[in-house]
Amino acid sequence: MKKQEAEENGAAEIRPPVIFLGTNTCAGDMFSLLNSLAPGYREMLTDLIDCRYNYLLMAAEGEMALNALEETVKQFSGRYILVVEGSVPTRSNGLYCVIGYKNGRAVTALQAVRELGPGARYVVALGTCAAFGGPYAAAPNPSGSVPVQAVLDRPVINVPGCPVHPDWIMGTLAHLVLYGEPELDDFNRPKLFYRETIHNLCQRRHYFDSGIFASKPGEPWCMYKIGCKGPVTHADCPNRQWSGEHLSWPVKANTPCIGCTSPEFPEGDMPFFEHLPDVKLPGIRTTADGVGKAAGIITFLSIGAHLAGAILTGRLAHTFKKGFSEKGAGKIKDSLRKLLRKSVS
Amino acid sequence: MKIEKPRHSMINRLLHWTYAPAVLAAIASGFYIHKPSPFWGFKSMDSARKTHFISTYILAFSYLARFYSALWDKNYRELLPSRRTLAALPGFVKYELFLTKKKPEFPKYNPGQKFLITSLAILLPLLGVTGLPLYAVDAWQKQPPAVTGGLNPPRKIHYLTGVATTALIAPHIYFSVTDSLAKLKSIFTGYK
Repeated sequence: MKKQEAEENGAAEIRPPVIFLGTNTCAGDMFSLLNSLAPGYREMLTDLIDCRYNYLLMAAEGEMALNALEETVKQFSGRYILVVEGSVPTRSNGLYCVIGYKNGRAVTALQAVRELGPGARYVVALGTCAAFGGPYAAAPNPSGSVPVQAVLDRPVINVPGCPVHPDWIMGTLAHLVLYGEPELDDFNRPKLFYRETIHNLCQRRHYFDSGIFASKPGEPWCMYKIGCKGPVTHADCPNRQWSGEHLSWPVKANTPCIGCTSPEFPEGDMPFFEHLPDVKLPGIRTTADGVGKAAGIITFLSIGAHLAGAILTGRLAHTFKKGFSEKGAGKIKDSLRKLLRKSVS
Repeated sequence: MKIEKPRHSMINRLLHWTYAPAVLAAIASGFYIHKPSPFWGFKSMDSARKTHFISTYILAFSYLARFYSALWDKNYRELLPSRRTLAALPGFVKYELFLTKKKPEFPKYNPGQKFLITSLAILLPLLGVTGLPLYAVDAWQKQPPAVTGGLNPPRKIHYLTGVATTALIAPHIYFSVTDSLAKLKSIFTGYK
């Protein structure tokens, strides 16, 4: 039944071959995937996918591992799912990330992604680094790291998160296997998990609407004033909660959301405990609030100085004197006088 | 009998008094949304957001109407800085810095007003462009922020543009009240 349904929906087969390729990554997304409970990792391997290569968890290593990779590409071209975890370093021909050695020559992550990507049925960018560059591509980005999409001339399904929630990747894989490609948003994220903002789903939304805000982490109110990125972050953390057992999530633990599923993460969200990112000008780095305060002070002082000048030079007095002695003002004065006389008499 | 042409046409005066309170409401509610504080006159985020959205809708439509009106009656010629404006700038600056007593005369708007109005004409659409993705987070997810990433960078640009707009409107109000009462009257009655 499952197979029939899958075929009808355009999915290749029940257990398609899957390659988990690690590039510039902390492996946090793979560890997060291991926290999945329904289905669990074991169930995923036996019922959902045919795992042919996993950079972190496979027993094989060295050439044996690379051979498994090559075999999969040859045997299942156009049918396998490529899951890339991490950003792809491009500097020095990708030598900042080497996945192994073949015949004594380094096989770079850049080379691997470029060779494996075109033949895959689907390419999934696992975690924020793979999807949008993330911390590895943050300034000064010495390795020239880029997201997976930047080195492939084909659509990539982005499943961001730092780390990714186990359900987001497990659910995306399950959808690919059973129903084909899920509906994606403007940043190629499955709408299944990234449709709504954290803010709209937040259990503390009523505190936000009512103006009840935490002034420091640890308080049980809305985290907006201490830099919560919930209003500008798309993910279902408040509903789904972390991790496999769905127990808690940052705001529930009384700390702001840092916006880890957003394309601008982490630089565009920093400082995490500030409402807005810093403003960088040549030679100056300040907070957005700092700019606001400076603009306010300069405006106030400029107007104040001009007003003082206008008073001291007699310009202001002249303006009012002239204004009130003019024709129109005279008429107003006359009518007021007449009105006053009438009311008195 | 000679009919005097008004300094500000009826339609421009009506539009001015439509968007003037809308701008002030948008500024106050915007600063509350940025950093909630009773100082801005709101009790809750709910009321601040409603005020912000309603006032920006009014502002957007009256801005478009004013833009059209400026094109229709060729009023933009008076509003935009020209070479003559640049030539008159040093004299104007000298007067405003109290370096000369002689007040320079201008046909309608002085260089300061022209630069201010032109800056607002640029800043207000920028506020709209960066505000839309924050207003409709799903529909406008990638439109303007495509260059900058997600929603947080346009949020920063929106705030900084709001600060710049406020910093321009404050001197506008100050000079309106202190420069010439006759000119101030004309924005109410049309005539000096």
